[in-house]
Order: sequence, then structure tokens, then C-alpha cells
Amino acid sequence: MIIRFHFLKSLAFAGALLLAACSTVPTSTPTLDEARADFVAANNNPQIATYASLEFKQASDALDAANRAAAQHESLDAIDRLAYVAKQRIATAQEVARAKSAQAEVANAARERDKVQAEARAAESDRARRDAEAQAAAAQTQAANAQAQAQDAQMQAQAAQQQAAMLAERSARLEALLVELHAQKTERGMVVTIGDVLFATDRADLTPGGMANVRKLAEVMMQNPDRTVSVEGFTDSTGSSAHNLQLSERRAAAVAQALTSMGVPRERVATRGYGEAYPVASNDTGANRQLNRRVEIVLSNAGQTIPPRAAQR
Amino acid sequence: MDMNSLHPLVRVGAACAVLALAACASPEKTPAVAAVAVSHNAVDNAVSAGAPALAPAELSSAREKMMRANQALAAKDYKTARALAIEAQADAKLAQSKADSAKSTEAANQIDADVQALRDQIDRANSDQR
Repeated sequence: MIIRFHFLKSLAFAGALLLAACSTVPTSTPTLDEARADFVAANNNPQIATYASLEFKQASDALDAANRAAAQHESLDAIDRLAYVAKQRIATAQEVARAKSAQAEVANAARERDKVQAEARAAESDRARRDAEAQAAAAQTQAANAQAQAQDAQMQAQAAQQQAAMLAERSARLEALLVELHAQKTERGMVVTIGDVLFATDRADLTPGGMANVRKLAEVMMQNPDRTVSVEGFTDSTGSSAHNLQLSERRAAAVAQALTSMGVPRERVATRGYGEAYPVASNDTGANRQLNRRVEIVLSNAGQTIPPRAAQR
Repeated sequence: MDMNSLHPLVRVGAACAVLALAACASPEKTPAVAAVAVSHNAVDNAVSAGAPALAPAELSSAREKMMRANQALAAKDYKTARALAIEAQADAKLAQSKADSAKSTEAANQIDADVQALRDQIDRANSDQR
């Protein structure tokens, strides 16, 4: 029994020696402290959890091994080596997370670039379309303007043509009437002579034939409101001058009266009797004397006054 | 010599020696050789990843430890060889990941700059139009 007791005592002593040897080893080393700090930083990095979970697990296992070695008071060198490996693996996890997050950024940026390019192309085609539309609209407006101008020009041409036609027609009508009335062109204007046969003998009453001629003249005047007339009466040299002057005045007044009764304004009709003056033939034969008994109606040129009769021949 | 006649202290010393030997027993040769092979591979990978230019400090540390691991193998110090090989592997992996992250970061910066340039170009085109 004594021997066994001694043996147990020896064992206890040996254990105590070993413990004494190990008790000098600290529970940590500077490298292990660094590894632990690096681990905390990595653990707080969300990118590590996202991109480097496998590498972080390996780093975590390595740090556990180093911590176990420290807890079990292994040699300083052994703890340092394990801590160093843990530290390098934590750094590796950080680098892997950095690399993968950069790769994710590349993928994102590539998508972003594609999107921006698509937007640029869309904006470009949009711009081209708007330009084309604006050009088309401008061209349309221009065409519409040109058409409107063409229509205006056509309408003006038509109006001018109508006016010309109207003037030509009026002119033709005037011409025809003047021909019917045997009008003669003189320096003072067109002269229509109403001969003696259109008056009752030695009186101022117009015969129906004379009235017909006056009506034609009234028509001319109605259609040409810018013309005036001078109605001038003449006689032959038979009888007293006073009688002849009076007769010539009355005959002129009768014609003016007839014109007025047909609608010609009175202010456009002047009258005058000249008696025996201004014979158109000698008074030696009956036929010639009849030529001298007359009323001349001078129609002014358009818009002009009738010049006075030239001095007696 | 009678066992019982031995001094108790001598017996304690013998027990200690046995215990110490058991605690300090060298690891097997095979795991050490395997660890060195794995580290060699890791160094090769780091080199192909561009570590010579992008992580030279980590790579040279890995190479130096590889060399010492091989020396320890030759000296049949398998424990040291394995420990150095594991450290070399950690260094080599860090070198590789540093090289990878440097390249990826450069690529990300490049494409970010491209996108920005594109945006600027579009902004200019738009402002020219207005």
C-alpha cells in the first residue's frame, strides 16, 4: 500500500511540474490579439456575409484553433503560428468579399451602361421623329400657304377677267347704241344729232321716232354714269332771230326733259339754244334748211367735261 | 537493481520523460508532405492570378515559407514542415485573393468611368439639341 501511495504521489508531482511549466504561457499573443480584432472587423462587414461566407467560415475555424491552443496553454510559437494563419485567412475573406463585390458592381454597371445606351438610342429616335414631324408639318403649312396663294391669284384673275368682260360688254353695248344713233366722234365728244323730222313742225314736241332716239341715249347715260350731256338746239335762218333762238331753246329743253323723265339726273344734262348759229349747211334749199333745224346732243368723254363750242364759223 | 530501491524522484523524472515524449511526438510524415503539396499548388494559383505584380509581399512570404517547409521536410522535421506549409498556403491564398480583388476593383472602376463618360456624352448631346 505504501508503494502505491508513493506512486500516486509521484504522478501528482509530475502533473504539478507540467502545470508549472505551462502556467508561464500567456493566454494570448500580439498576433492572436490582431487576429481577434481583424475577426471582429470582418464580422461587422456585411459584404463578407454576402460574398465570402465560405472563406469567413475557414477563417473562423482557424481562429477557433488558435483560441483553443491559447486556452490549452500551448507554446507561444504554436499559438502564434495558428493566429497568423487565422489572420491571413480573415484577410483572404476580406479580399474575396472585395473582389466579388467589385464583380457585382461590374455586372451592375454593365446593366446600367446598357440601360443608358438604350435610353440614348430611344431619345435619339424620339428626337429624329419629332424633327421629321416638325418638318412634315412645316412642309404641309407651306403647301397650304402656296395653295391659298394660288387660289387667291386665281380668284383675282377671275375677278379681273369678269371686270374686263363687263367693261368690254358695256363698251360694246355703248358702241352699238352710238352706231344706232349715228353718233359722230368730235373733239368735244360723241355727237348725236336729232334731226328736224323727229320734231313736230315748228314746235318742240318730239315725235315717237325722236323719243326712241332719246331713250337710247338715256340708256347710254344710265350705263355710263361718269358722262354728262350738253343738249344744244339749232334752227335755219328763216324767220326772226328771236323766234329761232327761242325755238332752239325749247327744243333743247324738250330733249332734256325727255332724258330726265327717263331717269337721267337733271344735273348731268345741260341745255342751250343757239338759234340760227352754227348751220351745218347753207340755208338756200329746203333740204339744207331742214338739216340746219336740229338738236345736237354732245356726250362727254368718260369722266370729262364738255369743252365749249368753238367760235362761230 | 531493485525497482523498489529507486529514489522516488528518479521515478518521477522517468514518468515526466515518457509524458513529454508522448506530448511532443512528431506528426506523421504523410500529412506534412500533403500540406506542402497543397501549399505548392496554392502558390502556383496565386502566380497565375497575377500576384507577382499585385500582391508581391504576400507571395514572397508564401515562397519563403515554402522553401523553409521543404528544408524541414528534408530534415525530417515534419511538425515544422507542416506548420510552415499551412502558413505558406494561407499567405498564397491571401496573395491570390488580393490579386483577384485588385483586378476586379480596377474593372469596376473602369466600367464606372465608362458609364459616367457615356452619361456625360448623352447630357452634352441633349443640351446641344436644346
